[in-house]
Amino acid sequence: MVLGRIGLTVTPEQLASQVFLPGRQGSLQIEMLSGARRNAALAIEIPSTLEALMRETAAGHPVVVLLNLGLSWAPSWHYAVVIGYDLDEEVFLLRSGPMKRQALPFRTFELTWNRAGRWAFVALPAGQLAVTVDEGGTTHALVAFEKAAAPEYAAMAYRSALVRWPGSLTLQMGLGNSLYRLRDLHGAEKAFRMAAHSHDAAVAWNNLANVLLELGHPDEASRAAEKAVSLGGPTERAARETLGRLRARQ
Amino acid sequence: MKFIKKSLAALLIVSTTHVGFIQTAQATMIGTEEVARVAQDEARRTGDEARARLQDLFTRADVQARLQDLGVEAADARDRVAALTDEDATRLAEQIDKAPAGGIIGAILLVFFVLLFTDILGFTKVFPFTRSIR
Repeated sequence: MVLGRIGLTVTPEQLASQVFLPGRQGSLQIEMLSGARRNAALAIEIPSTLEALMRETAAGHPVVVLLNLGLSWAPSWHYAVVIGYDLDEEVFLLRSGPMKRQALPFRTFELTWNRAGRWAFVALPAGQLAVTVDEGGTTHALVAFEKAAAPEYAAMAYRSALVRWPGSLTLQMGLGNSLYRLRDLHGAEKAFRMAAHSHDAAVAWNNLANVLLELGHPDEASRAAEKAVSLGGPTERAARETLGRLRARQ
Repeated sequence: MKFIKKSLAALLIVSTTHVGFIQTAQATMIGTEEVARVAQDEARRTGDEARARLQDLFTRADVQARLQDLGVEAADARDRVAALTDEDATRLAEQIDKAPAGGIIGAILLVFFVLLFTDILGFTKVFPFTRSIR
C-alpha cells in the first residue's frame, strides 16, 4: 500500500503485526503513524481540509485517511489511501483494503471523512516533505521520526526540512543528534556549531562540547561547556554535568 | 555447541561494552525531543490561553442551552476542555475564531466528536455523551 508506493518493501502481514491490535477491531491512529515511521516512512499529519488533501495528492503524495463508513453512533472505522482524484467525474480514487481502485464521489468521501474527524496523514520517503504542513507540524513529525527510524533516514529528513526552514533550532539540533548517532562526529560538530552560533542556545553549546571532546579537542570543548552553563535555562543541569566531566578529565 | 557458547559470550561482551560506551558518551547529550520541548514552552503558554477562552465559552448562556438540548452536562464538557492538548486547544480556539457567528455550536459539536472517538477507542470514558448525541 502506501509504503510500497514510496519504494519501501514491507509485507502486509509484517505491517499488520506492528499496527493491528487484536483486542480492538482495527489499528489505532497513533499506531498507524508509528508503524509507518518504524518502516522508514516519514508520516506527517496534514491539515483537516479537502484542499490540503487534494494538494498532497496532486504532489504525488499518497494520503492515508480514516473514514467512518457507518454512522456516528454505529461507527465502522476504515483506513484507506487516497491515490488521486478526478475533477470531471467528481470522485476520489482510493486504495481501500483489498480494492485496488475504488472511486468514491466527493460528497460520500467528505461525509465519511467528516464522521471520522477528518484525520489524514502522508507517508513519504525520508528527504521529501508534505506540501501543506507548516514548520511546527513538520518539526513535530520529524522528532517522532528520529525516535522511530534509523539515524541515516532521520538525518536525511532533517536536511530536507532545513532547506525549507534553515533557521530552526530544533531541526539543526535534530540533524546534529542524528549524525552523532550515526557516529559522523565531524558532521555533528558542524551542525551543532551552526546551531550554537546562529541561536546562542545552551542545548547547542552543550552538545557541541560533547562532540568536541570525543573529537579530541578538550580545550575548545571546555569553552563550549562553560558557555552552555552560563546561558542557564532548563537544560543547565545537563550542561553542568558536561562541564564536570570535562574538568574531571583534565 | 561449545563454540557457539563461546562466540555468543564474546558477542555479548562486545555488545554490552559498546552499549556502555555510548551511554556514558550520551549521558550529557541533549536529545532533540528536549530541544523541541524547550521551544514548545512558548506554545504551551498559548495553549493555556486557548483553553481559558474555550472555558469562557462554555459559561455562555446560549451555549449552555444548546448543551442542555443535547443532554450534556456543561461541567463534563469543561473537564474535557481542560484535558485537551495545547495543540488541540489552540486549533479549536482558532476554528471558533474563524467560524461565522453561528459556528460556535459546530465547534462544540467537534469537541463531542473528539469525545466520542476517543471513548470508542478506549482512551477515555466520558460516556453519557454517545447516547445524548444520538
